Amino acid sequence: MNTALKKEDKWNKFKEGLKKNSFLIWTLLPGFLYIIAFFVIVAFFLLKLSLTSYNGGMTQESLTIANYLKLIESEEFRTAFVRTFIFVLITTPLQLVTGLIGAILINKKFKFRGVVRSILLLPLAIPTIVTTATLLLLFSKGGHITSLLMGEYPWFPKITQHEISFLNKESLALGISILGKVWRDTPISMLILLAGLQSISEEQYEAAKTMGSTTIQNFFYITLPLLVPSISSVLVLRSIEAWKEFIFPYILAPSYPVLGVLIEKYYVQMFDPGTASAIGVILIIVILIGTTVLNWILKKMQSYLVKI
Amino acid sequence: MERRWNLQKIIWFAMIILSIFIVVFPIYIMFKYSISDRSSWITGGRYPVPWWPFKPTFEMYKYYLSDTRFWGNGFLSIKIALLTVALSMFFGAPAAYSLARYKFNGKAVLLFLILSIRLIPDISSVIPVATVFNFAFLYNLPVTLKVALAHTLLGLPYVIYIAQGVFETIPVDLEEQAHIMGAGKLYTFIRIILPVALPGLAAGAIYVFLLSWNEFVFSYFITATSSVDVLPLPVYLKSLFGAFTPNPVSIATLSLLVSLPVIVFTFIIQKYMVAGTTAGAVK
Repeated sequence: MNTALKKEDKWNKFKEGLKKNSFLIWTLLPGFLYIIAFFVIVAFFLLKLSLTSYNGGMTQESLTIANYLKLIESEEFRTAFVRTFIFVLITTPLQLVTGLIGAILINKKFKFRGVVRSILLLPLAIPTIVTTATLLLLFSKGGHITSLLMGEYPWFPKITQHEISFLNKESLALGISILGKVWRDTPISMLILLAGLQSISEEQYEAAKTMGSTTIQNFFYITLPLLVPSISSVLVLRSIEAWKEFIFPYILAPSYPVLGVLIEKYYVQMFDPGTASAIGVILIIVILIGTTVLNWILKKMQSYLVKI
Repeated sequence: MERRWNLQKIIWFAMIILSIFIVVFPIYIMFKYSISDRSSWITGGRYPVPWWPFKPTFEMYKYYLSDTRFWGNGFLSIKIALLTVALSMFFGAPAAYSLARYKFNGKAVLLFLILSIRLIPDISSVIPVATVFNFAFLYNLPVTLKVALAHTLLGLPYVIYIAQGVFETIPVDLEEQAHIMGAGKLYTFIRIILPVALPGLAAGAIYVFLLSWNEFVFSYFITATSSVDVLPLPVYLKSLFGAFTPNPVSIATLSLLVSLPVIVFTFIIQKYMVAGTTAGAVK
């Protein structure tokens, strides 16, 4: 009798709590259910598909690690992995440098600062597919760049005799995708670094000036160490983006697939969701490992750079 | 001393000009192609591809603007984007309001959850999403809805983030006064807070609209694996590249038509766009 009462009491309290917080629950629940539902779908089916082997679009065997074994042995996957790694190694620092240059340029106060900043943010506004289209037109056969290098314009020296087909050479094709990626995403790193630059107080520079420091010394002994947090976040975020890059190499270097392009190849063209998912899972793991390692390196560097 | 400062300023100015050039040059090239005559491309080796608009003409624009296929694809893109905005706002705005106003257990967990969905690379998460949409009982869903549901997943975290900031700028007094006058929480939210927050929310809405308008990966995977004739504009643009001899004038024109609304809107909501971009997990 007593326990039943207690139970009812608890239940009533629970109901009361629900009623009291009903506004909170009704506002939060739909959105989070949406996210959780997709989260579960993505996690569950990605794993399930990656553990299912397919042949010609039909399920062949489930709960097997055949896909992973096949990938580890395949030459194609290994080269794609190395390619992606090189892509990350070049793109990430490059975006840091271009972003830093942009941020330092904009950080000065001048007349048309707002306008210049808006112009430098333009790459973010252009749909990525349009950026790839532009690069495709510029670098394709008979496009501006090949004509330029062949000396067809009177004001530019002749550099090669033969037409270079940029998109059919691995290093060049990947180089152009890196160029596109950096062009498009520099504004993001620029904005993060700009926020970091603006949080450095003017007094520090003035104090240094009274001690007779030069601009270059200022940069290396004040700006850079204080910018370490922003630099770290740029490197981490940009490297994640670079790992999962799809669209630039997909359009500009389709014959030299990176991991993202390989996923498209298996999923859309070869009707093999199993292998595609296995690559997807590997990609997630690689990103996790890569980010952890990068964080570790950055921490070491920070303790080395900032000596207090 | 004075001279060195001048040198520094010259370098700085040159760099500004250079970076503006790097940003504007590709856009100019697109514009140039789009209003050039076809013979600017097929030169037959008589002269190199000209840098300036060649026999300027709006032929291609006229062609596209009277092309039913273009309009069909364009309307699909608009429908997807509007539906994405509606869904993200419906799910996101109330959640953002509660996150901004109330303290409760597990708030940090919820916030982490929002972020974590963006940490999964979209090229990985697109596989299960596209596969699930191809299940028998979902296969007949309209493409608009399928793509919009996927885009909402991308847009929702941004809406929650941006809207939370907007609600935080509204003084709490406003709600307290309403409560004193006897208004309930829901009434206060819908009739008092939402109208005040509207300009900020509109910026968030535009941001999500552009996100959906530009999105390629989900649109492409979902439309490629189901049989459809009408494609979202970015996917349609991509399908032109594959043609035997891609026609630069046509690609450039379509590219500009796709970019134009984005460029215009971006200037309007730049302030919020900056906030959204630097918010962490970035697309």
